Amino acid sequence: MSDISRRAVIASAAIVPVAALTAAAQSTATKPAALALSDAQLRLLAAFVDRLIPKDELGPSASESGVPEYINRALGDYLASEKPAFIEGLEATDAFARRSEDRAFVDLTPDRQDALLMLMDNGSAAGFPNARAFFNRARRLTMEGMFGDPYYGGNKNFAGWDLIRYPGPRLATSQDDQKMGVEIKPYHHSAYGASGEGSSGANHGH
Amino acid sequence: MAINLKPVDVAVVGLGAAGGVAVLPLARAGLKVAGIEAGTWMDPAKDFKPDEIHNNVRGLVTTVPKAKQEIPTFRTSPDAKARQAATHPMMNAVGGTSIHYHAQSWRLKPWDFKTRSQTIQRYGASLLPKGSTLEDWPVSYDELEPYYDTVEHEVGVSGKAGNIQGKLDPAGNVYEGPRQREYPMPALRTCDFLDHMHKAALSLGWKPFHAPAAINSQPYRGRAACAYHGYCDRGGCHVRAKNSTCFTTIPEAQKTKNLTVFDNAQVTRIVSDNNGKVTGVLYIRAGQEYFQPAKVVLVGSYTYENTRLLLLSKSKAYPNGLSNNHGQVGKHYFGHWDAQAGVGVTALFPMDVNTWYGAMLSQGVVVDEWADDTFDHSGLGFIGGSSLCTFMEKHPIAGASMSTFGRAPAWGSKWKQFVHENAGRWTSAYLQGNSFPYENTYLDLDPEVKDPLGDPVCRVTSGPKENETRAAIHSQDKMEEWFRAAGAIEIVKGQPFGPGLSTHTYGGTRMGDSADTNVVDRWGFSHEAPNLGMLGGSVFGTSGARNPTLTMQALAWRTAEHLAKNWKGIAGA
Repeated sequence: MSDISRRAVIASAAIVPVAALTAAAQSTATKPAALALSDAQLRLLAAFVDRLIPKDELGPSASESGVPEYINRALGDYLASEKPAFIEGLEATDAFARRSEDRAFVDLTPDRQDALLMLMDNGSAAGFPNARAFFNRARRLTMEGMFGDPYYGGNKNFAGWDLIRYPGPRLATSQDDQKMGVEIKPYHHSAYGASGEGSSGANHGH
Repeated sequence: MAINLKPVDVAVVGLGAAGGVAVLPLARAGLKVAGIEAGTWMDPAKDFKPDEIHNNVRGLVTTVPKAKQEIPTFRTSPDAKARQAATHPMMNAVGGTSIHYHAQSWRLKPWDFKTRSQTIQRYGASLLPKGSTLEDWPVSYDELEPYYDTVEHEVGVSGKAGNIQGKLDPAGNVYEGPRQREYPMPALRTCDFLDHMHKAALSLGWKPFHAPAAINSQPYRGRAACAYHGYCDRGGCHVRAKNSTCFTTIPEAQKTKNLTVFDNAQVTRIVSDNNGKVTGVLYIRAGQEYFQPAKVVLVGSYTYENTRLLLLSKSKAYPNGLSNNHGQVGKHYFGHWDAQAGVGVTALFPMDVNTWYGAMLSQGVVVDEWADDTFDHSGLGFIGGSSLCTFMEKHPIAGASMSTFGRAPAWGSKWKQFVHENAGRWTSAYLQGNSFPYENTYLDLDPEVKDPLGDPVCRVTSGPKENETRAAIHSQDKMEEWFRAAGAIEIVKGQPFGPGLSTHTYGGTRMGDSADTNVVDRWGFSHEAPNLGMLGGSVFGTSGARNPTLTMQALAWRTAEHLAKNWKGIAGA
């Protein structure tokens, strides 16, 4: 079983595996959200996450859905302790692109970006020893941004939930909401209000 | 200098699942009780959200500062160096882990209490797990039955009985021990997927039933019924339908005016005199140290902290830690072989199973054919097995983070297509295995890692075991059979690697008649310090193949009732 599938099993069974929780335990920083990344870093991040979740006939890309914004807020706030390592990973990704392709990552064609990300994903990116760990972390944060509550800056217009046909959080459900073999009507609400966009990110009220 | 507080009859350390129950019979008996809790009250309106990032990704219901500062270290063998984990499996709050647990509320089986003698009787001693320190419990199922019954009604448990005084009912679990009466509430509601799994189990000749749960299936004692909204896991209940002790037994005990709750109070030591009696507890609240004198102390923190607190509480009478003159504190530790130990099975179906909403394991269908000693183990090379549970509730990030079962890449447009089609079509099963204590599985104090007060954290030594690994693989095969019978087209089984730090851990202050191999007696009181009692999983000698909370609560009630009935003898008043 791959790491990802094991994590999914465990997450769904509500268990607290030590190995899978390194992320959650990083920081308790509760100071007002600061945004973590520069414009250039955000452009690089957008290019990266858009290869993981590209725009296609099934819907918008990760960046169109606010994933970079989710990550930017998280690194400025809840994951502040992780910010230096993440920025280092972004910069190493760009350096890897410049070494391999003689161009900045953002200037590569999608095919070439995919080729580099594949090398990172399988741990064979030359001269980039932490490539796999960084790739996995970025992918995990992309998942959180795309499929988490829009309150945190991602999943804009509920694009992530629509993609996987998750019908949305609600305070109570009926047996009809638990039917098999039917499309459950989506309920486009954040846990924090209709759109979830009332938050500036500066005051997560909890 | 510690401020001396007014003496009380009983100091209960930790108001969680176990301590939060023990306070009720004590307070009702008229004893003055100080409930000392490191966390504080949580507010359903503010703290409990249908938000996966809040509950699961960031652990904001479960992660609190105190627990984070005393995370145990872990190693798989006594020769290895232990490393501190990233997070503590437990939390601090009034109500403790009963706030965010799944609330499956099981009685252990008669066999769980007598595993050693019954194994020898049925298969011979050679089938006992090698290197295990397994003993029969000093308590039988029948002795505990009235306490199970009391707690089921006081806390509120929904379920369907399978054995009322020997009369079997296939709508419930026919493999359970006999109970005196029906559950106070019917089982949580069923739904399409659970009906589907139920039918598949019947087609295999198995006897499926709905899980028992400390969640209201109908309004109960002024609290609402479950809303099945799908954020039970690691979250508290927004409508207080989950019967966490902060909503049930603790407020009930407060009504008597005999319980005073001291929150945000971190107990650092249990104090004992030269005669070996405990005299009270020291705690820190907002930077100030207090001494709470008490005639009796009941310790109901988590398994790791129960052992740590005793080992830290050295005195003239107990130079190696409180109640540790026989060297048994921390011994006979073990973790549950469950999803936390890599024992999972994931299935992909060809149709939308839509398990998004629900109440986690509590809205579940269970099969008990392959647990405990329900089946013949001759020639299998292991004892025990697992309960198999399919359930409702899946969150979107976890849902999208599904296995691709080798059918798609892990990202890109093809992956999008895959999760679009399949995120609603997979589910996982929860398997919990019978687990046992061993000579080389134990808790002690870490020689290097300390908490901010300078006290060593707990060190956990626990490696994989052959008996439990074999049982886990056997159980996974049975789970695959069940999923296949239900039409699953892909199956992924976890590789059992053994329990790490876990929310289901046992031992360290084991209960038994012999002081040479156990810390507490059959009533939960120390063999050495007569007015010290221990509550929680730390007194268990076996795990059972199911969630431990109801058994902890039945034992806690029994210990408290025994104390109230034998007050003079125990308190030495």
